[in-house]
Amino acid sequence: MGKTQYYIPVGPIHPALKEPIRVEVEVEGEKIVKVDVKRGFAHRGIEYMGMKRNAIQSLYLAERICGICSISHPYAFVLGSEKALGIEAPPRAQYIRPIIAELERIHSHILWLGVIAHEMGFDSLLFWTWKGREKVLDLLELLTGNRINYSVFMIGGVRRDIKESQIKAIKDTIDFYRTFTEEMKNVFLSDPIYKARSRGVAQLSKEMALKLNVCGPVARAAGLRMDIRQDNPYDAYADIGVKAIVPQDIVGEAKGDAYDITLVRLYEIEQSLDIIEFCVENMPEGKIMAIPNYVVLLSRIKKKAGESIGMHEAPRGEVVHYLKYDGTRDGPAVWKVVAPSYNNINTWGSLLLGAEVADIPIVVAYIDPCLCCNDRIAVVKNRDGRVIDYSLIHKKAIEKTMRVKRELGVRE
Amino acid sequence: MRGEQLTAEQVLEKLQEALGEVIISHEIREYTMGVRKKKSYKEIWMEIDKDAFRKTVEEIFKLDYPHLHFITGEDKGGDTIKMIYGFALYHGFPWGQVSIVLKFDLPKSNLVLPTITDLMPGAETNEREIREMLGVEFEGLKNKRHLFLPDDWPEGKYPWRRDEYGVEDMVKHTHKSVNEIRRGE
Repeated sequence: MGKTQYYIPVGPIHPALKEPIRVEVEVEGEKIVKVDVKRGFAHRGIEYMGMKRNAIQSLYLAERICGICSISHPYAFVLGSEKALGIEAPPRAQYIRPIIAELERIHSHILWLGVIAHEMGFDSLLFWTWKGREKVLDLLELLTGNRINYSVFMIGGVRRDIKESQIKAIKDTIDFYRTFTEEMKNVFLSDPIYKARSRGVAQLSKEMALKLNVCGPVARAAGLRMDIRQDNPYDAYADIGVKAIVPQDIVGEAKGDAYDITLVRLYEIEQSLDIIEFCVENMPEGKIMAIPNYVVLLSRIKKKAGESIGMHEAPRGEVVHYLKYDGTRDGPAVWKVVAPSYNNINTWGSLLLGAEVADIPIVVAYIDPCLCCNDRIAVVKNRDGRVIDYSLIHKKAIEKTMRVKRELGVRE
Repeated sequence: MRGEQLTAEQVLEKLQEALGEVIISHEIREYTMGVRKKKSYKEIWMEIDKDAFRKTVEEIFKLDYPHLHFITGEDKGGDTIKMIYGFALYHGFPWGQVSIVLKFDLPKSNLVLPTITDLMPGAETNEREIREMLGVEFEGLKNKRHLFLPDDWPEGKYPWRRDEYGVEDMVKHTHKSVNEIRRGE
């Protein structure tokens, strides 16, 4: 008998993947019959490092676990530490934290919408969504000083206050995104090609979602109403009464496919805008840190023993940190981090089985595996080492297009 | 699959009825959250007998199909490893999620636990991680390949261990490949 099965390795370094991971599939014709996922190419032993550092150092280390949701890990870390050490953040800080976290959710969801458009071959949509995403990154830079890795959270509060002058910028951004989200909804949800390419692809049933232990938008798209901001609320979320966004509330039925997850993410952007608006309007006055002196904070941590679980609903799902302080050192004695993609990658095996090769990028991208984006700016220099400005690049681009048109003989 | 929603006290009562003596100690922790509207949620922390681990998990599954938060372990360098399992019951109910943390000591002379992947296939990731990081064997776990560590990771080395099986001697050589360390370069 001739050979009917072929082996396709994808990754760890592959143009379709933004992060190193390896997917090995065996195909029969177009059908995938066997899947194996290998992870760990980016494992740096951060938990091990954290158990050797003090709590404040580990907090900054936690921020570097993920390049996109860079506030989610510090959020879970500070919540867990506060629960374990019996510290309560001042009310104002409890309202500032969700603002930062929700702004992050907006940029993360728009990033995903661009990525999924790219995986489907709609590159113009990718550039349009990412252009819209710049505004929220600019606002984060205004509020925290950084587009990514904001370093504003601290055990028992936040490090930077939101000033009156910044409130106007926040409100303007909310207005911008109300319109922009409406436009995105039109583009994504009403487009027949997008629907054809996403309906029924990467379909996860409610039962499978439970069994595979998934979380976040992946679980919600399958119809599970799970959201840490609703199930075990914290900070200002406790005052707001957040409700998990599930497709059955919007369109009456949850199918758990790539279309439903787009729906969930788009509506969550609107929910985030509501949360930010509430926080800005109801922000209490007062101080922003329970223990402003870090030396005092560390000595307090050193004296106190305790353990807890800190949970935060990150853009991709729940982030859980188990922390144990043993009362002998000023850092965690045990630190276990579970990120949402840790659980959500479980779906790849079952979703890829029986699917077609062309669906691999969508199945892989649909859970929004955590990517990294640290590049701030690309500086283009000419041969003399002088920086070329934007207008010149624009002029050169037009010249090139004209040249290509001439060479190809294109007539207007 | 989902059970009727119970409070933390009712869950603990049901587990005590079903398990009896094997719960060595238990505690319900209450956390009050919110600024303007104060409200609280509860967590159950239990220390159990290691032999009753599987039965305890089965009882939890009878109440509601849980979400597995994490599995982790602590090695203090002694003769035992403290295993810690975090489950969540009744996720999806506002303020109603009840986290249950199970803890028990596992002797280093017999680091074997029954798998829970037959109850929850998604736990495979967690069990494979614990297996390679702490050296705990899971009976019934089908896929025993490394999860995060490279496939050529040396036998008998477990990063989270704080005894002679730990990686203190390897940490200074992280810039080298496993093969270079083995050859003594």
